[in-house]
Amino acid sequence: MNALLVARNTFREATRDRVLAGIVVTGLVLLAMTQVVGVLALGEARRLTVDLGLSAISLLGLFVVLLVGTNLVAKEIERRTIYNLLSRPIARHEYLIGKWAGLSAALWVVCAVLGVALGLLLAVRGSHGHVGSIAEAVYLAGLELTVITSIAVLCSSLSTPVLSALYTLGFYLVGEWSYDLRAFADKAQGMAGGILGVVANVVPNLPLFNMRTLASSAQVTSAGHLVIATLYALVYCGCALALATAAFESRDFK
Amino acid sequence: MVVAWAAALAFWVLAFALAGAGYRLLPRPQPLEELSYYPSGNHLRPATLGHEETAADLGWIRAVQYYGEHRRTDNRFVRMRHVFDILTTLSPHFLDAYVFGAFALAQEGQDFHAAEALMQKGLEANPQSGQLAFELGFLYYVRPGGRDLSHAAEYFEQASHQADGPPQSARFAAFARQNSGDLGVAYALWSDVLENTTNPAMREMAEREMRRIRRALESGQTEIALDHLGTPRVLVRH
Repeated sequence: MNALLVARNTFREATRDRVLAGIVVTGLVLLAMTQVVGVLALGEARRLTVDLGLSAISLLGLFVVLLVGTNLVAKEIERRTIYNLLSRPIARHEYLIGKWAGLSAALWVVCAVLGVALGLLLAVRGSHGHVGSIAEAVYLAGLELTVITSIAVLCSSLSTPVLSALYTLGFYLVGEWSYDLRAFADKAQGMAGGILGVVANVVPNLPLFNMRTLASSAQVTSAGHLVIATLYALVYCGCALALATAAFESRDFK
Repeated sequence: MVVAWAAALAFWVLAFALAGAGYRLLPRPQPLEELSYYPSGNHLRPATLGHEETAADLGWIRAVQYYGEHRRTDNRFVRMRHVFDILTTLSPHFLDAYVFGAFALAQEGQDFHAAEALMQKGLEANPQSGQLAFELGFLYYVRPGGRDLSHAAEYFEQASHQADGPPQSARFAAFARQNSGDLGVAYALWSDVLENTTNPAMREMAEREMRRIRRALESGQTEIALDHLGTPRVLVRH
């Protein structure tokens, strides 16, 4: 219950933040620009719209996480408002889960707004066949951002905003390369292979949430993929938030 | 405050003028120079952080501009093979990139082997694509310097068996087989066309060609069944 209160408050704060509004406007402008640039694409305007639109949702969402998510806990520690908060009967894990849930909800709203805008733009241009694939791709992008948000909460509870942003970005980059790491681990011998394998499993496997290639040609993914991605996101977020709780509970605020 | 706004405007105008002068007077990267520095799409892929399709799209736009610019000026396309190899490695299901790249390489680039290799790469990545099979067949059909009718027929036939193969694939396959001298197979293919089409003009064509083939086989004079096809040429001069 307390987590819901914190989440609601965090959601309100995030949606009132100019960064979020700016991100949504940027996304809409990018979508509009695809129609201008599409003229240069020699008949590939639809493909360009889908690809750029989905990339924008993913990258702009990451931007929000790096700017807002990494400040979630650190800002309250800095302003010392956290003392007031934690003096209430709110468990630390409820606080962290609430922060994560609130920002994740705000990101889902961003994904939904930009996803609907993309779908409408394609529908207006006569491409009705992309609706299903766009919806799935946006859903997976939302899951990806939820996972990155959990990492941002973890880093934010441990460190300063700048370092949290860098750590989160680092996890994002290595996460995008996790499938390459797995391939290297398979080919490497001995301890190197083992270490690479461990790293590939520790970082979030973000390619699992990537169906931009399929969406580009209006293909949908399997239900199994969606289920596995959803379960993985929930489990990974659980792990990150549990670690954040462990770190947060050991902190002594004075 | 007015002074500050005026100063800002003045600086902006100066910056605008300097940028324009710099663009006109100073050397600048040519479209696709950056792409050329990467040895292959496989090395570029990790840098795209999961956004290979978008990177391929942006590369496509620049490749089209590169083609247009050189088509209008010197008709030299030295980087085209490399660029389309990168594009299609980043986005293996970007069918139009294979088709455009291959025909541009075969014609303006005068590099039929590179064109053929690009299309083969496309078919490897998209084995069920009737569109690509048809286009490869057509590439062989219009090969500059001499049509390769056997290969053309092979790929037209492949296209006719795929769900997205153009409806004219079967007819093209029969025509190419016939003109490559393989009259037996051509007859069978025309027979399939006759059986499967409801178009009266197609039926008439199939029946006519089947009669020609029968006359050629009966008389032993294969040339009765052959058309006098011209030799394709590259129309662009370097």
